[in-house]
Amino acid sequence: MRSLSIGATGMLAQQMNVEVISNNIANMNTTGYKRGRTEFHDLLYQDLRRVGSASSDAGTIVPSGVQVGLGVKAAAVYRITEQGNIMITDNTFDIAVNGKGYFQVELPSGDTGYSRAGSFQLSPDGDLVTPDGYLVQPGITIPLDAAGVTINASGEVWVDIQGQVAPTNVGQLELATFANEAGLEAIGDNLFLETAASGAANVASPGTEGFGTILQGALETSNVNVVQEITNLITAQRAYEMNSKVIQASDEMMRSVSQMR
Amino acid sequence: METPGYVALSRQMVLRRQLDVIANNIANMDSPGFRGESMMFVEYLADTKDKVPAGLRKISYVQDIASVRDLSEGAKTVTDNPLDLAINGNGYFAIESENGERYTRNGSFMLDGDGQIVTTSGMPLLNDNGQPMVIPPSAGRIDIARDGTVSYHDKEGGDVVEVGRIQVVQFENEYALKKDAQLMFRADGQDPAPAEDAEILQGFIEKSNVKGVVEMTKLMQTVNSYQSAGRVVEAEHERQRRAIQTLAGRSA
Repeated sequence: MRSLSIGATGMLAQQMNVEVISNNIANMNTTGYKRGRTEFHDLLYQDLRRVGSASSDAGTIVPSGVQVGLGVKAAAVYRITEQGNIMITDNTFDIAVNGKGYFQVELPSGDTGYSRAGSFQLSPDGDLVTPDGYLVQPGITIPLDAAGVTINASGEVWVDIQGQVAPTNVGQLELATFANEAGLEAIGDNLFLETAASGAANVASPGTEGFGTILQGALETSNVNVVQEITNLITAQRAYEMNSKVIQASDEMMRSVSQMR
Repeated sequence: METPGYVALSRQMVLRRQLDVIANNIANMDSPGFRGESMMFVEYLADTKDKVPAGLRKISYVQDIASVRDLSEGAKTVTDNPLDLAINGNGYFAIESENGERYTRNGSFMLDGDGQIVTTSGMPLLNDNGQPMVIPPSAGRIDIARDGTVSYHDKEGGDVVEVGRIQVVQFENEYALKKDAQLMFRADGQDPAPAEDAEILQGFIEKSNVKGVVEMTKLMQTVNSYQSAGRVVEAEHERQRRAIQTLAGRSA
């Protein structure tokens, strides 16, 4: 009975769908989180009667044969990289990217991670770091006697030092963009890694062609739309139930066979 | 003598296959651009050697001659994703796969590492010259017009650059398209023609056209018919047993 296993593929796919939806809802307040979407594809088809095969020696052909599909699979969980809302926090080192681009972060392994979450802090040495203490690349060190820090739209970091009239430039934030952002590999902690699917990183200053601009004192919220997620959750649950009914129906049919003598 | 059992068996065989088709429809309820199918049953007449009145001379079996595709459009949902496209009207997207051109109604596309517009399995979407379309990484917003023209702004608020027009095709006989997994169809000899009344909606996805309620009703119907066919087999078995007992009892 194919229908038993077809029903099972349906249930598995919907279970995955619910998992992705619940992860979206769980990360609804995660800075810079991009929601995921499960994409389903049908599986192979078995030809029980081929389309276009001859149905008589007079040359007539079968207009549409019997094709039985074998179920469904989750083909991809892909990230929707739409911009999240910008939330003003007025915190000096909260930095949002308005437009395309990721901050670069030096991971403990030496690799470069990419992140949209701009809730940065300072290390004891005055280096700009992520909440996990990873260095932001290119490195920016704020002098300990700085009275104020200003980051402008193109990512230049200026500090006011007491006793000096003009602000001093202490560095330049850079952003990385990718041909296919959805192809980045998520590794948790709001970090992503470059993959073959994402393409190589293009690094430039914010505000250059094709790059977003920097907004100091603001954070990008997640792009999860709760209403949408709840609606999807309901549909997924119903679809799961219907697939379980298919299994029940197949079971009933098999039982009626086994009860025959 | 044994035919009633075989007639019921032919019914049970096709019902099993119908259940497979229904199961596949329900499993693909959330596959974008999926087309539901239903079984088409026909009567298969066989001659008998028995001497019976003229009109009743044939035995009628049932046969599943074809699976018929429901070609109605699925519901469109807003996703606001610039590369989610839905076709309004008749037509298919042309996709280049490793085994030749394929056609699909599934409009969830993305960019690959080289900036090509591809399906989620990485096969490029073709323009009306049969070429893949490339969006450079520096591009700003991507716009897709209702006639399928793809353009992007070379930076936020910059100049508009056209990259081509998405190929939307139609077929003389849509039923003859073969399903080829991953929501693709194969033309198998039919030549695609440019679609006449199709337009492309950006930021929308066409859902599967499977209607849950209809499938559940069919599911229940199938199970019930299967069980009643089973009872026919049982009754026939009982009839034959009685006949053997009675006849054997007389001769003994």
